[in-house]
Amino acid sequence: MSWELVSGLETHVELSTNTKIFCGCTTKFGGEPNTNCCPICIGLPGTLPKLNRQVVHYAIMAGLATHCTINNVSKMDRKNYVYPDLPKAYQISQYDKPLCEHGYIQLDNGRKIGITRIHIEEDAGKLVHEHGDTFVDYNRGGVPLIEIVSEPDIRSIAEAREYVEKLQMIMKHIGVSDCKMQEGSLRCDVNISVRPEGSNEFGTRTEIKNMNSFTNMEKAMAYEYDRQIDLLESGGKVTQETLRWNPDEGITTPMRGKEDAHDYRYFREPDLVTIYTTDEEIEAIRQELPELPDARIARYESDFGLPEADAQLLVKYRKIAEYFEAAGEGLANKKTVANFILGQIFRTLVTDEEKENGAVAIPPEYLHDLAKLLEDGKIKMNLAKTTLDKMLETGKPCTDFISEQDMGDIDEDTLRTICQSVVDNNPKAVADFKGGKDKAVKALIGQVMKQTRGKADGRKAEAMMVDMMNDME
Amino acid sequence: MVTREEIENIALLSKLFVAEEELDGLTKEMDQMIAFADTINQATDAGEEFDNINGLQNAFREDEVVPSYPQSEILKNRDGGVDGFFYVAKHK
Ligand SMILES: [Zn+2]
Repeated sequence: MSWELVSGLETHVELSTNTKIFCGCTTKFGGEPNTNCCPICIGLPGTLPKLNRQVVHYAIMAGLATHCTINNVSKMDRKNYVYPDLPKAYQISQYDKPLCEHGYIQLDNGRKIGITRIHIEEDAGKLVHEHGDTFVDYNRGGVPLIEIVSEPDIRSIAEAREYVEKLQMIMKHIGVSDCKMQEGSLRCDVNISVRPEGSNEFGTRTEIKNMNSFTNMEKAMAYEYDRQIDLLESGGKVTQETLRWNPDEGITTPMRGKEDAHDYRYFREPDLVTIYTTDEEIEAIRQELPELPDARIARYESDFGLPEADAQLLVKYRKIAEYFEAAGEGLANKKTVANFILGQIFRTLVTDEEKENGAVAIPPEYLHDLAKLLEDGKIKMNLAKTTLDKMLETGKPCTDFISEQDMGDIDEDTLRTICQSVVDNNPKAVADFKGGKDKAVKALIGQVMKQTRGKADGRKAEAMMVDMMNDME
Repeated sequence: MVTREEIENIALLSKLFVAEEELDGLTKEMDQMIAFADTINQATDAGEEFDNINGLQNAFREDEVVPSYPQSEILKNRDGGVDGFFYVAKHK
């Protein structure tokens, strides 16, 4: 029998606010333990939380960017559980009135993965376990999160990955989160079950907690998919339980303690008032949203004639997309600019983070000026390329490397003289050519390019030199 | 009914010292408090839903950083722990 995978994801995304959700402590990552804390975020009695306006704003942006309905009336609730990462013994979250509901993310294959809800909540502190002892750092406690809950619409591991990648790209694009999996600012809980192909019923699901990399998520899902099928095919049953992925052994194991199925005894947070958002406010936020990645990719393809893969690469990093648009401003041929960025410029941005930060050595105006010279036919591609390398090395504009004499075409006579001298001075290459090695011309063209600083027309030079050599005895 | 043992246990968890002779009085007081809360269950009128008693809504804070407390202040009441961390005692 063949089995279908059914999966839904709960994705936690840390918001890029300056301060925590209920107090003015910084959200900066790292730092000595318990230095970004105050009586509110370590849960001392007598303190009162006050909701960060920006958290609501960002969550609504996230909702609008994923086609959600924004609820005009929303409230905070207490989710009670006793574990040392929560100093108050409850987490302030949202239960029955989340800010956003009923959205979706569309995959490249056209399928829509439903988003059940997006709610805001506070992150927990960090526990460090050592030799059976537990130590707690509350710097992360109270950092704002949105939890994005999907419908069980995912049907393969590849779809799960694409869903998270899309989500990540959207959240980064609209600027609500940096979504760095390695720093834990994006993490997923994966719900997974299997059912016979063609069945419409859901099997019993398990939940794998806290996936913090794509590799782990894919491996854990593959393992869990196989494990459940093996269980069912050998006449067993899947138990609904919460699992932890053990990357060292490559297996999932049941979690104990914190996540044992129990009642969270949700109730309204009495210390926080209702959040009302008017339609006008929601509309204003919608207007403020930048162009979303999918729309941007489509525009690059249709308006600029970029291949889909190139468009996707540029849009993957919002700052690169912005750089591209700034550099291409007013130019007819955006493709050249895209090629410069994806080729030479990307070679100088080695890590994902460098691309993320758009840390190009030259401002987009410099690239624009270079591309403009090329577009106007003032310089040739060869010269443009070598110049761009120099610009990237030094951070200087192209005018520092290209002189007036470099621009404009070389007249026929000058080119002929240069070609003649190259042919005269390279008897070995000429002999090779006459001996039937057509490739030998390439070396000669290289020489001409060097002498003309790349502005010669390579084809013209080739034709001239071939004629010259054919005329030779 | 609240029992003497429950009061002893609450005192232990709250790290409060309660003298032997105070126990009976506290048990009785706690029992009365809980009985008072029970009167809510006798309400017959469903009442009116309201957000909060002061009619407040949208009480927000601007996203501006306020200095945090010094680590030494934050850790002042900790029990055990090293290197700036809180320590969680193992279950007995
Ligand atoms: Zn704080």
